Amino acid sequence: MSNIPAIDRSSRWKTVRREVGRAVGALVIALVVTFVIVLFTSKAPFDAFGQLLTAPASKPRTIGLWLDDVAKLTVTGLAFSLVFQARQFAMGVQGQVYIGALAATYVVLTPLGATWAGIPLGIAAAMLAGAIYGFLPGIAKAKLGANEIVSSLMLNYIAIEACNFLVRVSLPKPQAGVLTTNEFPDTAVYPQLIKFDFLNITRLDLGLVFALVAVLVVWFALYRTSWGLKLRLVGHNARFAEYAGIKSTFIMVSAMTASGALGGLLGSMFVQGQGYGKLTVLFEGGLAFEGILVAIVARSRPLAVPIVALFYGYLRQGAQLMNIRTDVPAEVIGVVTAIIILLVSSSFSLNFVTRLFRRNPAAVAAPATAGGATK
Amino acid sequence: MMELFVTVFSAAFFVTIIRTTTPLLLATLGGLIADLSGALNVALEGMMLIGCLTAVIVSVYAPWYVAVAAGLGAGALLGLIMAFFAYRMKADIILVGFAINILATGGTVFALALATGGDKGTSINLQSKAIPAVDLGFLSGIPVVGPTLTALLSGHSVLSWLAAFLVFAVWYFLYRTPWGLWLRGVGEYPAAPEAAGIPVNRIRTLSLVVSGALAGLGGAQLAMFNYVGFTRDMTAGRGFIALGAVLLGARHPVGALLAALLFGAFEALAVVMPGLFNDIPAELIRMIPFVVTIAALVLFSIRAQRALALRGVK
Repeated sequence: MSNIPAIDRSSRWKTVRREVGRAVGALVIALVVTFVIVLFTSKAPFDAFGQLLTAPASKPRTIGLWLDDVAKLTVTGLAFSLVFQARQFAMGVQGQVYIGALAATYVVLTPLGATWAGIPLGIAAAMLAGAIYGFLPGIAKAKLGANEIVSSLMLNYIAIEACNFLVRVSLPKPQAGVLTTNEFPDTAVYPQLIKFDFLNITRLDLGLVFALVAVLVVWFALYRTSWGLKLRLVGHNARFAEYAGIKSTFIMVSAMTASGALGGLLGSMFVQGQGYGKLTVLFEGGLAFEGILVAIVARSRPLAVPIVALFYGYLRQGAQLMNIRTDVPAEVIGVVTAIIILLVSSSFSLNFVTRLFRRNPAAVAAPATAGGATK
Repeated sequence: MMELFVTVFSAAFFVTIIRTTTPLLLATLGGLIADLSGALNVALEGMMLIGCLTAVIVSVYAPWYVAVAAGLGAGALLGLIMAFFAYRMKADIILVGFAINILATGGTVFALALATGGDKGTSINLQSKAIPAVDLGFLSGIPVVGPTLTALLSGHSVLSWLAAFLVFAVWYFLYRTPWGLWLRGVGEYPAAPEAAGIPVNRIRTLSLVVSGALAGLGGAQLAMFNYVGFTRDMTAGRGFIALGAVLLGARHPVGALLAALLFGAFEALAVVMPGLFNDIPAELIRMIPFVVTIAALVLFSIRAQRALALRGVK
């Protein structure tokens, strides 16, 4: 019996290796496809692709932008991981981000925002609002059987319009006609983490710390509490969990609520972060949905989420910089995202690539091209 | 308030409803076919969006019917890709659907920037064509009701008539042909048709292809009739609303028609309201279709649960 943990550990490492191999394989194929697209559409394809792959790490400023994206992608990835582990396809993170940001803004722009309580109260308001917004599709599904995909997507659109409306009409603005609110007081904006004379990484703020804390909290909740065990059981087989005496509807609703709180946190990280420090319409820029990719590649494992976010955030920032510096639009990253989701969520395996890895690392690019072309 | 009533009961408003309903109805029929084959097609939104852009770009160089066919083809191709990954590669179909949506959101902006030479917002500097409206002016010759008939029936897109016909065609296909029975069987309980020797996977694949084709057709109508030209994210959730309309329509073609008409009517209301009430903010008016979708979904779910309770299930 004594060797069972050892077997367990070795099989776990095998799984990890397999998953990493699949993710890397998918990434390579996606990049090859993107390269082909860039080759046909850009006047300076090699320059553009070089920017995509090297620009984020080139300067402290770009590193800050990259790590800022990593923090945000981690939180949205965690939010999706939570609901995916319960096998709920709630797609409401985007709406929770907007509602959370609105709540944080309303709190922060009161006199309280100018005191030390600006940051904690802003976050608390954002998380509460996000949790409520995540609870709504959950309870509608549990009590009425309303499809959570449709209802959460509709709530996203409603939240975006609500944000547009309130920014335009209700919230204080520096001048009439602009679609941003007043700047938040300094006490309500996350402080920059690394700010020395010799190393000044702008944009990198307290949000990264919150993201890492969130990783630990979600991991603990999922793997070290009975709620997490029940949640994963419901995710594996809701009917079995029900027979085992687990209230699966309660677990469903609570998972969606907790995920909503994370979405709200992300909203606070946006507007209270160094990047904005105010509320602007459409500030989120489609980042929330990219949490789907992060969650899927990480197999909804909280501890893997920040690692995936690190790589994906690099690509995302690379695309933005490529957009600024060359003639290739940043939106090409959508192609990369879609291909990676398709490959990683399918039974696609890179046996042939891993085999080649062992024999001859240099020959990897060729079969990857073939794989990209057949698709 | 009076103006609103006058507007709502005017023939012009009826024409607006038909116009706003057509893309929704086409997408809803697509969603219905996928849903009955056992797949929730969350990619309707992305398929429509890519259908829009394909139709607009092709219409610059080719006649309108070729452009419509291209939009349809683009949707069908996406359906095929979806089927390949969901059924051959065993990926979760909802994730595949969202991958296609992400591809559509980014890919259309990318392709638009290439086609227009850098404009990421609209295709305003492309000379795209429109789908012609069907002129039924000769109906005015009919005594008494002639002018009314003309006002109501004239001026709709060719695709609106096609969509109305498709409601009947889809109903006939689903409930009056053996293939329709197969499709419903595959969606209901795949093991049974499998045992009966029916090619389950081919049917599933074909229904996703048809589903995508219908969504692409809806996109063509949206970008070549409702609006002429492409704007980024111009579908604005219509694909998701169509998904709600499938559920609301009790998974039946006629129900789909009624649900699409309901959402289309509210969208039409959102179109005419800014001209009537200056004091209602545009954002709140734009929310209407989404709020109505949620309300309809909730009400329908309550009704469905009651029906289940009456039959003694659960």
